[in-house]
Amino acid sequence: MLKIADLSARVAGKEILKGINLEVNPGEVHAIMGPNGSGKSTLAQVLAGREDYEITGGAVEFEGRDLLSLPPEERARAGLFLGFQYPVEIPGVNNVYLLKAALNAKRKAAGEPEVDAYEFLGLVKKKMKLMQMSETFLTRGVNEGFSGGEKKRNEVLQMLVLEPKLAILDETDSGLDIDALKVVATGVNSLRSPKHAVVLVTHYQRLLDYIVPDRVHVLSEGRILMSGDRSLALELERRGYDWVRESRVA
Amino acid sequence: MSSQPHSSAARSAALRSFEAQWFAREADPLSPLREQAMQRLLKLGLPTLRDESWHYTSLRALAAQSFVDAPRAPSGTLRPDALLGADARAVTVLMVNGHPILPERLDPSINGIEISSLQELSRTDIALASRLLKPLSEAEEARWRLLNTALFVDGLYLRVRTRVQTPLIILHLGTAERPGTVAYPRVIIEASPGSGATIIEHHVQQGPETPLSNSAVLIALERDAEIEHYRVFTTDQRTTHLDSLEVRQQKGSRCRQFTISLGGGLVRSSLEAHLDEHSARIDCYSLLVGHEERHVDCVNVIKHSAPGTVSRQTARAIASGTSRVIFNSKVVVDAGATQADSQQSFRGLLLSPSAEIDSRPQLEIHTDEVKCSHGATTGRLDPNMLFYMLSRGLDRDTAQSLLVYAFLADVLTDMSVTEARTAIESALISQLPDSQVLQKFR
Repeated sequence: MLKIADLSARVAGKEILKGINLEVNPGEVHAIMGPNGSGKSTLAQVLAGREDYEITGGAVEFEGRDLLSLPPEERARAGLFLGFQYPVEIPGVNNVYLLKAALNAKRKAAGEPEVDAYEFLGLVKKKMKLMQMSETFLTRGVNEGFSGGEKKRNEVLQMLVLEPKLAILDETDSGLDIDALKVVATGVNSLRSPKHAVVLVTHYQRLLDYIVPDRVHVLSEGRILMSGDRSLALELERRGYDWVRESRVA
Repeated sequence: MSSQPHSSAARSAALRSFEAQWFAREADPLSPLREQAMQRLLKLGLPTLRDESWHYTSLRALAAQSFVDAPRAPSGTLRPDALLGADARAVTVLMVNGHPILPERLDPSINGIEISSLQELSRTDIALASRLLKPLSEAEEARWRLLNTALFVDGLYLRVRTRVQTPLIILHLGTAERPGTVAYPRVIIEASPGSGATIIEHHVQQGPETPLSNSAVLIALERDAEIEHYRVFTTDQRTTHLDSLEVRQQKGSRCRQFTISLGGGLVRSSLEAHLDEHSARIDCYSLLVGHEERHVDCVNVIKHSAPGTVSRQTARAIASGTSRVIFNSKVVVDAGATQADSQQSFRGLLLSPSAEIDSRPQLEIHTDEVKCSHGATTGRLDPNMLFYMLSRGLDRDTAQSLLVYAFLADVLTDMSVTEARTAIESALISQLPDSQVLQKFR
């Protein structure tokens, strides 16, 4: 589904990604872990199409298409979703407007008719219940005045409504208390299927207690230094990121 | 302000033609007042870029033209393009090129508002008419008002007596067969103690040409009166509006004022508010939309003259194409106006590299113990917001339009007349990219 080959990228003139290789297949959940400043969020933003990030080398294929040649909106319509580490507040644009516009954009791209208003509301309410969100969120401005936890739930809600083929969740767990973490995990797990893939970008192992990954990668200084199964995350938790760097040198 | 008297040789073609109009006017009970106004204007001359409050708006092209009176009635049938739909409960009074066309029988739902013409008022109560027509200030921004006072033929006088629920619409229709005409619409709204009403002035046009519109409006609020007033400009790019609004407020009165510039080639709207007595409050909202080659100039002057007076100014401007939007705002707190409370908030959004937005919030405070704040920012669309929406699959045009729309929402959401808001939103959206998509999102 997603093939990243030797991807390098620069932000504000500084090389952040220095040759990333990663392959994600349908049905898989991957966790990308790493210390602060390792390039995790840059990778997520580059995949979503952030325009001020400069690609300096490599290629990314998504569902057989050259992902890097597509503008962000077409990547989204092709089935890629980014859950933002810092969801943006957009006062004046209702949450429900954005959700509906997003869903219809995806349907239009797939040659499907626009969603029926009644059907749409039913779908959104069902997903909101799963995310334990009050319906009053619908008529509020996008993320406007939401707490950190509410913003993260809102990201997962958008993901559930859009049902992307590949969801990249950038530190969706950060700043969440344990109850909120469980709710978010329930949401993400509900998307798991043989057709959908998830990439979790996270700093801590904690999230992986609730969303069990198939593969764990350690990103450091713009490169994936180590990959393994779930036990790698536990090892990391125990031994810290320095261990990866040291064992790499050794 | 230039205090040099203008010799007739130095007078612009426009000023000479205004003087000619003045000589041709028949005498009426208001003649002494008019004479005063005209002499004052002739002495001051028309404003130029050298005048502080006209710094960004050149009237050179206008001053080089000659003007004659616009016709009293249009040549064809009237088909005014009303702001509110036919199903709205609002009552409409029509003014054609400034001449009120009063219905023989008024809708009983606005029984609380007495409507008459200014000619009638000047015949029955010349003292009142003179008091209401006499300009309070001779400031440079009031010069077009002086001209209006000298030359308006008739106008509309509204006396609000009770709390009136139904909005009253004054439809200003500008119409002319040929270029070089001018109209002088004049409206006076007086609200009795404790009364309240919503009054919407909508400027529209019909026919091949439109007159230069030099309109002057006064809203006088007596004790505890409440008026919500709108002035909406939706004419096309050939039109020029010079609209001066004066608000005089007594104790405890409250005015909510919306200035909506969505049309016209050149729209200069001024507001001069006098908070004369304790706890009078004005909330002004300006929605200034620069589109294509439009020039929008909005000037607010708020004078706090009594303790406990409150003013709030919320202005939002967008500019696309090669348009230019100017927002000038000045708050003056007099020595006696302790505990005055004033806020100015201006935000501008540039949508094209060739557009320009200028803003100048000013404060002049002559006493301690006041609470005054102002903020003005102008920028472009937030790239983070845009990327967020794109990452959800929205078209770039749709995302941009939604963001622009959201930017203006601070003004739109405070409108209490739903029909007016809906109509203004429609007119606004039609000037944004991807308007068809946006219509569906309302």
